[in-house]
Amino acid sequence: MVSSRVDHKWGMVVDLDRCTGCQACVVACQAENNLPINDKAAFLQKRAFEWIRIERYWEGEYPNVKARFIPIMCQHCSNAPCEPVCPVYATYQSDEGLNVQIYNRCIGARYCINNCPYQVRFFNFWHPTWPASFENYLNPDVTARSRGITEKCTFCVQRLRRGELKVERTEGGRLNDQNMAERNFMPACSQACPTNALTFGDQMDKSAKIGPYFDDVNAHDIHHEHDRTTRSYLLLEELGTKPNVIYLKKIDQYPLGEN
Amino acid sequence: MAEHSTSHFPADTWVFPQSNQVVNEVMERTTKKSKVFVALLLISLTLLALGIIGFVIRLTGQGLSDYSSWGYYMAAFSFVFMITSSAPLVAVAFRFTKSHWRRPLSRVSELFAIVGVFNILLFIPMVIVLPSIANPDFVPGAHGELAARRAIWLGSSGVPVGAPGLWNILSLAGLAITSLGILWLSLMPDLAQSKHAVSGFRRALYGALSGRWYGTKRQWIQQKTGLCLLGGFYFMLVVFVHFVIVSDYAMSLIAGWKDSILPPLYTIIAFQNTLGLLLIILFVLRKWGGYREYIGMSLFWSASKIMLGLSLLWTYHLFAFFMTFWYGRLEVESSILRYLMFESYSVIFWTNVLFSFFFPFALMVWNPIRKTAWGPALAGLSALVGGFLFSIRIFVGSFNAGDIYALALSKVPPPVFPDIWDVFMVLGLIGVPLLVYLISIKLLPVMSIWEIKEGSMYQKMDKLFRGEYLVVAKPE
Amino acid sequence: MQEGRPLTPTEVNRDLLRPILETPKWFWPAIAVCGVILLIAAVTVGYMINRGLGITNLNRPVVWGFFITNFVFWIGISHAGVMLSAILRLAKAEWRRPATRAAEVLTIFSLMTAMTMPIIHTGRPWRILYWAFPYDFARGIWPNVRTPLIWDPSAILTYLTSSTLFVVIALVPDFAVLRDRTTGISHQIYSLLSLGWQGNPRQWKLQVIAGVLLSALILPVFVSVHSIVSWDFGMAVAVKSWHSTIFAPYFVVGAVHSGVSAVAFVLILLRWAYGWQAYIRHEHIDALGRLLVVVATGWFYFFVMEVIFGIYGREADEIAVRALQFTIWPISAWTFIFVVTTYFIPVALWLSRSARRNLWIMSIACISVNIGMWLERFLIIVPGLANRQVFTFTWNMYSPSIPEIIIVTATFALVTMLMLLFSRVFPLIPLYDIKEGEILKTEIQIGRRVVPATYRED
Repeated sequence: MVSSRVDHKWGMVVDLDRCTGCQACVVACQAENNLPINDKAAFLQKRAFEWIRIERYWEGEYPNVKARFIPIMCQHCSNAPCEPVCPVYATYQSDEGLNVQIYNRCIGARYCINNCPYQVRFFNFWHPTWPASFENYLNPDVTARSRGITEKCTFCVQRLRRGELKVERTEGGRLNDQNMAERNFMPACSQACPTNALTFGDQMDKSAKIGPYFDDVNAHDIHHEHDRTTRSYLLLEELGTKPNVIYLKKIDQYPLGEN
Repeated sequence: MAEHSTSHFPADTWVFPQSNQVVNEVMERTTKKSKVFVALLLISLTLLALGIIGFVIRLTGQGLSDYSSWGYYMAAFSFVFMITSSAPLVAVAFRFTKSHWRRPLSRVSELFAIVGVFNILLFIPMVIVLPSIANPDFVPGAHGELAARRAIWLGSSGVPVGAPGLWNILSLAGLAITSLGILWLSLMPDLAQSKHAVSGFRRALYGALSGRWYGTKRQWIQQKTGLCLLGGFYFMLVVFVHFVIVSDYAMSLIAGWKDSILPPLYTIIAFQNTLGLLLIILFVLRKWGGYREYIGMSLFWSASKIMLGLSLLWTYHLFAFFMTFWYGRLEVESSILRYLMFESYSVIFWTNVLFSFFFPFALMVWNPIRKTAWGPALAGLSALVGGFLFSIRIFVGSFNAGDIYALALSKVPPPVFPDIWDVFMVLGLIGVPLLVYLISIKLLPVMSIWEIKEGSMYQKMDKLFRGEYLVVAKPE
Repeated sequence: MQEGRPLTPTEVNRDLLRPILETPKWFWPAIAVCGVILLIAAVTVGYMINRGLGITNLNRPVVWGFFITNFVFWIGISHAGVMLSAILRLAKAEWRRPATRAAEVLTIFSLMTAMTMPIIHTGRPWRILYWAFPYDFARGIWPNVRTPLIWDPSAILTYLTSSTLFVVIALVPDFAVLRDRTTGISHQIYSLLSLGWQGNPRQWKLQVIAGVLLSALILPVFVSVHSIVSWDFGMAVAVKSWHSTIFAPYFVVGAVHSGVSAVAFVLILLRWAYGWQAYIRHEHIDALGRLLVVVATGWFYFFVMEVIFGIYGREADEIAVRALQFTIWPISAWTFIFVVTTYFIPVALWLSRSARRNLWIMSIACISVNIGMWLERFLIIVPGLANRQVFTFTWNMYSPSIPEIIIVTATFALVTMLMLLFSRVFPLIPLYDIKEGEILKTEIQIGRRVVPATYRED
């Protein structure tokens, strides 16, 4: 089903040089998408919801320790392994390059969770509840999922739809980096990031900031990775999932072991 | 000999050779000079000569340092090896299941133990030719290259010293020794009985080999126990050797091929081929070898059921391999599917499936064909062709797969066609076992005399209600 | 290998129909125990469907735990039926005769039990039935045939249907015998079920042909069912230790192993419970033990292949799973127990003839196999999910919760209860198979000894 009169192929670039691990993106995502509150019980049960999560790895021995951060969200793979395994077609690849989850179709078989190599899918073990005062903050544009349903990052598709409705259908323009940033049609995480580590854009837009990185990756596949001109790489590229999220390698100014 | 039948089985389904005639008849056929035999002998000598020519030219041409020109040698060796190593197992297996129809088959299959000794000789070039596990050009930090090619041999820093070659030769030697043990134990009673029916060098040979066999109850029990134990050990050793050969010479030479079902797949096609070859040999023996009264149709009727089962089982394993590799759309696995099945070797692959599955299945599904001798033999011939094509696909494919230290096949290599010296070497590799086997059946009795006599004791025809049926004793 | 005295048809009828025509003393207490367990489990399942899967210990990333292990286990047990009745019938083994009906019935009930597991383990089970059904009930969307989760119900239901047909057709002559020995409602029901069986030659010929045809046709189904269940795991690319080409035959051989062991155990129980010492003799258990040696060794070969080729690639994520399975406490302890109970203890026992003929030892060996095989499924599923990724940040372990333990125990109670109920209504040893075996027995004179023999058709 074509939802806008303009073709888009959404993508994101994550610059690991800029990520400080502040978790603003995590909080923004939680607020925007009606995620359940992750209290201590949820973490202890290992059932916390973090559609975008910051993975933190320690390198080295005290006192020469470094923390490495990598934000991981749904990679919206073009060749998604989570799609063929759903028994009821609750997840599919939209023509805008998004991996879409249909909540009211999901029966909770959880094979998609097992088959996601990035572990970005989350299952509602309980019926989500919020404190009464919080319910006023819930986003009316986003479904509150019930229990027994699998969910994940949607690139804030509700914002993209709102943007398409306003900019493209009503005003006859075209969504691009500028009007998405100005009018909050970007995903919440990239909007919230203080260092602009998360850059969202349209791969089919020639002027988008993400353009050069996607061009580089498309020109040099995994066998020619050493020919790439930018710092781009894909997570778990050898699995052939063709993610629409590119990571930019961190260049260490002060590598471990040197002063 | 009176002929017996029930309504739907032909007259010569069950045969009951007379015990007191067996030794003389078998020895007469063993020592007879036959035109068919001489023709086969000449053919095998010609094949051997061609093989030697091809081998020498290849050796002096490309030498043993470049393994890619030896692909067809390995394929033909594997074909010969898998059949001749599994053959004694057929006797072991059907003895274990106490199948009453196995008796003519036993010695025919055990005699392949002698061929097994020559497998070691034929294998030596392949040991030398196998490339090193350690990557000589490895640069730490270089992209997409392994320090050591993936292999089943684990060692410190991933480089086991000389392990594959050593283990392969040792296990082939183990196979040869064990199967010779089985053959000897099975031969002892026969040679002891037959030495009086022959003269000359055969008599001396039989005398030496039969030792102090008197046929006492204790000796019979010892023989049976020995056959049982050696048979069980041989079975496990064969499966192990198949696993080692196919891992070292096929899987580890194609970058990124990590496939746990390949050893079972190889073993199953080995069993299917070996049964096929034995059915052909029995057909020949029955038609031209003069053993018509020894080989009843019930053997073909029952063995064809096994043949059908093995063909189906092989196809199932092949499908399991395909399905797992195809489903995930991983590039590593898709490249291998394209290389070995759908692009480079697609013609060989589909012909392989045709001969290993479709023809045997189409033949063995019909009862009237299963009751003939030519039907199962033809299915066996088809299986042999299929098995040879399988070996070509796997081993020529692996010997010519490009960079063996890469993480995956980045480009799908083209297929390699044989040149004339390859063809000569293949013919020679088929000629050697043929020659050795022909000599063996002239030296030693090809029918297991003690088992046939035992069978005559254990079986008879009897009436039940309105029909005549086979009665089989169950002394245990 | 024929022991025991010859049995006349009257004796056979009397002995094998006794459980149906009279109630054994222990019957109602046994049903009561099973019933209580099932009631507790039913309440637990109701609570789980009401509150959500949160009451289990499933977490992220281990989203499949005890329920799926149990599902695969029961599918495995269900492979005994075809092995014993179909394959041994085609191989013309005489010693299958008392075992076939019990095996086939165990197959049907374990399949039915297995099917409850995937239904209750999903997040929204009330949706599953009409969205997995092969029809576009909702908005023109059919089930996704690319997923192994849809191949599962197709294969399992096909197997269930064909096994049921197999049992029902084989039961027809026995229904006729029961029809002639009962009155009232029972008589009418048995008359209906026996489909007008008179026992004339034409009907017997049709019966035999049906048996042979069904045996041959059910074989591909039998192989495909557990292959497809194994592909629930084998098709996953994100769990490296699952993505192995050998899963299909490995699971099938494992299923035969656990299934035949289960049937051997059930036969020993039946012999004791119903006093069938003349029908389930030591020779049968002996033969089952020898078959199991071959099957167990085949299973061990596939297991070793799976582990070796898992490590072969030396990929960090797969090595991590293997390290968890083999070196990290307490999983390493479970792995050790699993290998020992599945292979080394039973096969060591089965290699000795006197052990094979001792019913206590055989019971222990068979229970040991099933404990080990249950653990095997657990050790494939949970460590694979727990340590599954190069992103070690999300590694986590799993241990079962009380509701899961209750529900899994209840599946054993369910199968037991169904078998008990079946035994009160239908004979668990096929009457005509035993009678046929008696007719085919004869003797041969070899020298001075008279040796037992059988008539054979080929």
